[in-house]
Amino acid sequence: MSDKGLARTLGLATAAILALTQAPVGFVRDEGYYFTAAQNVEAWLRLLLQSPLQAIAQTERYWSYNFEHPGLTKLLFGASHLVFTTWLGVLPDSLAWRLPAFAFAGLLSYWLCLLGLARSRAAGVLAPLLFWCAARTFFHGHLACFDIPICAMWAGVGVAWLRAPGPRLSAAYGVALAVKHNAWFLPPVLAVHALLLPREQRIAALRKLPWLLLSPLVLFATWPLLWHDPLRHLRDWVAFHLHHVHYAWWYFGQVLRGPPFPVEYPLVLDALVLPLPAATLLMAAGVSLLWGFLRRRLDAQRLLELGLAGAALLPFLLTTTPIFGGIKHWLGFIALLAPEAAALLTRLAPERRQLAAAAAATLLPGLWQIARVHPYGTSAFGELAGGIPGAATLGMQRQYWSNNVTAVLPWLNRHCPPGARVYFHEVNAESYRAYVRTGQLRADIRYAPDPEQSDYAALQWHREFRDREPETWNAYGTRRPATGLYLDEVPQVVVYARPGLPGAP
Amino acid sequence: MSPHLSRSLFVALLALGAGSLLFDLTLPLRLPSDADWAEAAGALRASARPGDAVQIWPVWAERSRLFVDAAPVLAEEDPARADYLGVARLWVLSLPRTPFFASPEGPLRARGAVPLGAEQRFGALSLQAWDLRAPPLAADLTRSLEEHEVDYVARRCVRIPIGGRLEARGAAGTSLHVRAGVIGERAYDANRPPVVVQIFADGAPAGSLEVPRTVRDGTGWRRLDVPLPPGAAERDFVFAISSADRGRPFCLQAWTTAG
Repeated sequence: MSDKGLARTLGLATAAILALTQAPVGFVRDEGYYFTAAQNVEAWLRLLLQSPLQAIAQTERYWSYNFEHPGLTKLLFGASHLVFTTWLGVLPDSLAWRLPAFAFAGLLSYWLCLLGLARSRAAGVLAPLLFWCAARTFFHGHLACFDIPICAMWAGVGVAWLRAPGPRLSAAYGVALAVKHNAWFLPPVLAVHALLLPREQRIAALRKLPWLLLSPLVLFATWPLLWHDPLRHLRDWVAFHLHHVHYAWWYFGQVLRGPPFPVEYPLVLDALVLPLPAATLLMAAGVSLLWGFLRRRLDAQRLLELGLAGAALLPFLLTTTPIFGGIKHWLGFIALLAPEAAALLTRLAPERRQLAAAAAATLLPGLWQIARVHPYGTSAFGELAGGIPGAATLGMQRQYWSNNVTAVLPWLNRHCPPGARVYFHEVNAESYRAYVRTGQLRADIRYAPDPEQSDYAALQWHREFRDREPETWNAYGTRRPATGLYLDEVPQVVVYARPGLPGAP
Repeated sequence: MSPHLSRSLFVALLALGAGSLLFDLTLPLRLPSDADWAEAAGALRASARPGDAVQIWPVWAERSRLFVDAAPVLAEEDPARADYLGVARLWVLSLPRTPFFASPEGPLRARGAVPLGAEQRFGALSLQAWDLRAPPLAADLTRSLEEHEVDYVARRCVRIPIGGRLEARGAAGTSLHVRAGVIGERAYDANRPPVVVQIFADGAPAGSLEVPRTVRDGTGWRRLDVPLPPGAAERDFVFAISSADRGRPFCLQAWTTAG
């Protein structure tokens, strides 16, 4: 198999595995918003096909929801649903919405493989495996969100910068820009990279850099919100992220509510949530790249990997950037260290049997973590944290925010009387509607605004929302749960039922 | 990299992987099964009497609530300082084989509690009764049937609007104990003035308790313990709550002890 064939195979395998394992993955809070945005986009696409001029005139109406994120992924989520569910009827709703995210995940594997192949064939295979063999990264690969797509484009822009001609670089960066605002950080990284290259390479790279000026055309073309009053919408987009709200986040027994956050936070979190051998190898990769940089021994690709990995992490070392969302906001850091980590593995184990043993030692804990925790990936912790129970004792965030509720939906469907009111806590109305639409929740089950006005309560365990459980006890007159999701004994979702109702203890 | 170093790192990586896998594969063996929980709950059913309570340890072991029905389940985070109001005998139900487990024995002994009988084991669960040696309760002045979360622990306190007052008559005993805090995350609201509880016993000032904005977790449940001067065996207590900001949900607990 050719190198590109191998990369394509790994990419396709990644997308296929994610598609096959997505059904039980619940909807994280933001995904509910993106599903709603995708439904708006789908309505707009249908209007576009029927009455193009009207659709172009009405972009504000269909696209202003979730104005804080660019249009491309939402366009893809909506188009995928339009084609595969609405027209062809061959895919369930959530799979159709998530399908484009799987394509980005496949691209990520493809590009990581290419970066690894620059070292050796074994590194090409191991690089994507090192990234995906962890419950957290595997979980995020399933979502119709932006984190894996921008992570993929982080690698994709890197590959294009190293190998593609200007127009393709321009297109790749345009896609990145049209996926998520993280892409704003890429041009400075590429510029600094160019300046650090040897003279001939530097001149060639600096000549390529202006091609990035064309990239905003992709952003503009794929985000119809910008077609009218673009400056206002661009201003709103930028302002949203410059003044982003800080969500409470539990970290070593303290709820972090605002800056300054611990400078070491992202590195410590990576070390705690990833399987220990993979985390160690990635750390070694970071040190190796830094050491090579200090000794001026990095070639253009390794220098770029260091720059991209650093740029993905840097904002979260500033102590002022919002830190919620576990490791999802700096997945590019892990991804861009993976090729170097894979190369280190192959250097430690140059013989075939040694390499198999080393790869097994590195990857099996991650595979075990996935097998044991999936589909509750936001709850996963590695061996350094003592697994999920150890992390609970250390006082670490247990989940974010509500996807684990899928564990108790079958129980609610079985026990709730017709028209029962359920307090779903952190499951927002958008996700609730998505669960009903996808058939995971009975349509007659109603969404209650608080425990007092509910018959059942599905409480997601969050340190900052601990008041909800006593509220439920007071409202129901019982402190005994009916059921729940407990991962390695640690409460994730606790369900209460009013005494006398079906399922109540 | 020298061959020797490379070989050493290779072996270290294998050891790290094997150790990690060993931890992963054995973790379930260190956790209780449903049968363990049911046995522990059965033992409590057989032994518990009024005035008993069950403290779970670590405090996240709340799956116990599915099984334990013989006594209230408490999840106090600091056994050394927890009030355990009205609890004569405390059953500590713990998961001692879990990672980073720190026994509550030291904190309990530090408050003067003594173990009663031998520790019982139910698979991965441990059950140990403790005599808290607490001074006898003279009167529960707030008598709350509700619980509210203050500082991440469910407290049996009564919610009082700021600006309001609570009047209660009860046995004076020798000491008055007052606890207060803002419910939920509002305790952390920035730039808020403190809440003050003025306490009167039979019309005479008995003390005051200030509840400032909580800055650090674990400091939001404020305490006041004062000796009561000799006087009537039963007295009228008044708790007046005031603050320049009345918007936050406030909770108060008060009781007296004898001896």
